[in-house]
Amino acid sequence: MREVLRAEIGKGLRVQLAHPAGHVITLLISTMMYLGLQFVLGQGELRQDLLPPTLVAIGGYWFLQYAGLVMVADLIEEKRAGTFTQSQMSPAPAWLLMLGRLLTASAFGLAVAAVAALVPALLAQITVPLRWAALLPAVLLVANALAFTFLLAALALVSPMIGALQSLFTSLVLLLNGSFLPLNLYPDWLAAAARLLPTTLGVEALTQTLFEGRPLAEVWTGGALPWLLAHTLVLTAVAGLLFGRNHRRALESS
Amino acid sequence: MIEIDALTKVYGAAQVRAVDEVSLRIPAGSVFGFLGPNGAGKTTTIKMLAGLLTPTSGRVRLGGFDVARQRPSAMAQFGAVLEGSRNVYWSLSAWQNLMYFGRLKGLRKARVAERAQDLLTDLGLWERRHDKVGGFSRGMQQKVAIAAALIADPPIVLLDEPTLGLDVEATRTVKNWIAEQARELGTTILLTTHQLDVAQELCDRVAVIRQGRLVADLPTRELLARFRERDRYEIRVEGAAPSGFDAVTRDGVTTISARVSDPLEVYDVVERLRAQGAVLESLTQVQPDLEDVFLALVSEPSHA
Repeated sequence: MREVLRAEIGKGLRVQLAHPAGHVITLLISTMMYLGLQFVLGQGELRQDLLPPTLVAIGGYWFLQYAGLVMVADLIEEKRAGTFTQSQMSPAPAWLLMLGRLLTASAFGLAVAAVAALVPALLAQITVPLRWAALLPAVLLVANALAFTFLLAALALVSPMIGALQSLFTSLVLLLNGSFLPLNLYPDWLAAAARLLPTTLGVEALTQTLFEGRPLAEVWTGGALPWLLAHTLVLTAVAGLLFGRNHRRALESS
Repeated sequence: MIEIDALTKVYGAAQVRAVDEVSLRIPAGSVFGFLGPNGAGKTTTIKMLAGLLTPTSGRVRLGGFDVARQRPSAMAQFGAVLEGSRNVYWSLSAWQNLMYFGRLKGLRKARVAERAQDLLTDLGLWERRHDKVGGFSRGMQQKVAIAAALIADPPIVLLDEPTLGLDVEATRTVKNWIAEQARELGTTILLTTHQLDVAQELCDRVAVIRQGRLVADLPTRELLARFRERDRYEIRVEGAAPSGFDAVTRDGVTTISARVSDPLEVYDVVERLRAQGAVLESLTQVQPDLEDVFLALVSEPSHA
């Protein structure tokens, strides 16, 4: 099993790195877009009070966006090329191959998000305080984004139009998860709607631990963490059900 | 060995029987041709064999393992090159592809590397092992796909149109390789192709499917022999065509095509030609080839 996982992750990363120029350009655009937006929102200046929380939020968005992009683009291309079918004609179970894809997407998403966040952090001298209490919310944020990626993958197995849906959701996440403005500056109804989107609850929990210095217990009783956990579990369950159904259909139509 | 028992696939509310009670036994070490016109149920059968499609009823066993109930063990027996798809990653090198598919089949890295070296050397790709497959010619890409199917040394290999679109040299290499795999290494090869000359040259046994049902399943020689009952003779005579014969004259030589139900009737034909003063140049018994047999089978009611 470990050998299969290693092979799947290695293959996925090699496929991604086969054309590095595209990733570099996307990274530059992402970084410049963030700084440009913050400059506009700050009415001609980069506001040091807004930069740290929005950088954490857009980091979550970048992870979600790139992990999803790697997953969906790869699956659609592999279905078209027949390599998806080839990989399924092996003793390896389908869930293990999907786990490998998720880990690949996760590794790629984390690497891109880290590099994309590092550039504005250095350019605009943004400081994010590191606290142990933020570790669990950070892990749950990644798990939440991956659960959404899993859902996209389950849909991509049967729907080549998933790219449009993915763009719609990631755009909403960019608008509402706190990447432009911290969530506490939104009206209540909009903040409530934003919490239904992936990463928002994770960003909120991270903001509370990193910038407000709240202990984990307080973040838990405040509701952000249990809702984040529930959100992640529901997304995973729905994605799992869809994957089970769509995987068979994808093979039949291959 | 491949065992297919009463395999049936019914689609949709209209209850279309794409595959209807197909049973086959393909012994180890043989090259088996599975032929049929488009829409006959060939692809559906292959998909059920490869575990991609769930049969409505019936069973497939690969090397003794039930594809539905013992899928991992069954898939370990099996390698496939499917028509109409790349089968391998074009953005990866030949070496990277083989390493990936070998490990996916459960082999350890060192064993895959050893096997990949043998295969790439055999198929003449060793020098270009680190080049991306996307930059290869069609023939080289097909060789990489075949090598990927064989990387775990499976006892059963499915080759779906393996020589389609290949040039003469690449076709020859692939055909030689198929024959060698079966005869020398004992690999069971299930071959589907529309190139019937390739099937005739390679296959020990041939099955033909039409409208979801098998219309023939015989050793190739026996199948051809069955259709020899309608033997044709080709008679070439000098000069113009004699009257009363189905003949074509070109460059001063007339070719007469004569069908006989009894070989002794050939003497009558020759006698009639002699009576007209025709000078005999040659007389040849025309053997039916697989294409003739195939066309007869798919256009007429069941023969075998």
